[in-house]
Amino acid sequence: MLPITSRHRPLVVLAATMLVQVLLLAVQIKRDQDVRLIRVWAVHLITPVQDVASWTWAKLAGAWQGYVALRGTYRENQALQQENQQLKLRLAQLEARAAEAERLAALLDFRHNYPDYPMVFARVIGASADRGTRILFVARGASDGLAKAMPVITPDGVVGRVEQVFAGTAQVLLLTDKESGVGAMLENSRTQGVIRGSGAPTLTLEYIVNEQPVAVGERVLTSGQDQIFPKGLPIGTVLHAEPGTELRSPFQKIVVRPSARLDRLEEVIVLLAREEMVPAEPRAALPAEARPARPPQ
Amino acid sequence: MVPHAQSEPHIEVHKFHPGVVAGAVFLALVLEVFLPRLLPRGAEYVELPFLVTLYFGLSRRNPITGLLLGMIIGLLQDGLTGRLIGLFGLAKTVVGFGASSIGGRIDVDHPLARLVLTGLFYLIHEGVLEVARRLLLGEAGAFLTIHLLLAMLLNALLAVLFFPALDRLRRT
Repeated sequence: MLPITSRHRPLVVLAATMLVQVLLLAVQIKRDQDVRLIRVWAVHLITPVQDVASWTWAKLAGAWQGYVALRGTYRENQALQQENQQLKLRLAQLEARAAEAERLAALLDFRHNYPDYPMVFARVIGASADRGTRILFVARGASDGLAKAMPVITPDGVVGRVEQVFAGTAQVLLLTDKESGVGAMLENSRTQGVIRGSGAPTLTLEYIVNEQPVAVGERVLTSGQDQIFPKGLPIGTVLHAEPGTELRSPFQKIVVRPSARLDRLEEVIVLLAREEMVPAEPRAALPAEARPARPPQ
Repeated sequence: MVPHAQSEPHIEVHKFHPGVVAGAVFLALVLEVFLPRLLPRGAEYVELPFLVTLYFGLSRRNPITGLLLGMIIGLLQDGLTGRLIGLFGLAKTVVGFGASSIGGRIDVDHPLARLVLTGLFYLIHEGVLEVARRLLLGEAGAFLTIHLLLAMLLNALLAVLFFPALDRLRRT
């Protein structure tokens, strides 16, 4: 009996570990609960290094663009090299700073438009370890007041919502993730539907009936019906709309391009409240709901 | 490490300092999360935690160690995704077990063997993920796609390129 047990020990351990993990999955599915302990361990293990790596890479990339890549010019033009290098280095630094300042100015401008609305700015430090999911890690967490399901935006539009919160970091589920859903409405007709992600760069607007006219280029805003996003935030613009064909579906197939550049986010804004955003001044870029609304069609 | 009872006597079992294994796993997970920011298009094809699981499975050649290491790597990777915990854990448990079982029977240090085995195990890894998604989550999708084949090829090439670097960290 003992030799058989010993010979089959790896198979027994394999079966046991597989069973435990299947049960783990089943519990999560059944109870809709997360195994937070493992997630906390993984995030706490990785994100501090990720934060440092992100910062270091930004510095190295700046140095490369401003200095190392210019070494060829240095060899070709010995006489002018030093002055040229210094000027170009300075220019590259200034350009990088200008780009950063532009981004930060947009955020600051947004902040000034909503001085009383509770929000925090967060730096993006990483992405999902699974290419099938669309999530980001931001360098803000529970200690900054973040909580699960808080809206995440940029001055351009909706980014997603906070999915997991840790002490100093948080996971953000992007609009484009398959699990993502946002209550939405068409800007002109105010017809309400649901925006869903599919893992692709574009979104789909669901539950808009075939009879409802939808124009390409029409803006899609948050409806506030999901109890997560304040009403009136820009989500995207309609790229394509056609009547539903599957099983005589009464709903249109509407493809929406996100307003926020989800593939190149560096800083985001986390809204710490869910009430409607009312700007202090009419020049606000967000939300569109606060601007003079076009008459319903 | 003691050679597994089923291992062929002429196949060498390689030892690693525990710090090397932990460091490689840690680095793979950090890069897996960080690479998409550097190479938004290319990074989606690379599966570094899979490569680390496979390498140590093939080298150490102890099925129990291999599957446990695979499970730990997979669960940590799950923790860095927005998905349920256990999907990558299952896939990498199978890869760790399979790699260490095969590593104990044939010589897997030849580049061609590494190329073929990495491709094969990548398919197994993705197959387990697909089965788990279909059976447990009810998600259906195409399996054999161009994307999968490209990822398989890229990871196999990465294995041929980077496994020799890890070979140098073996204990003599």
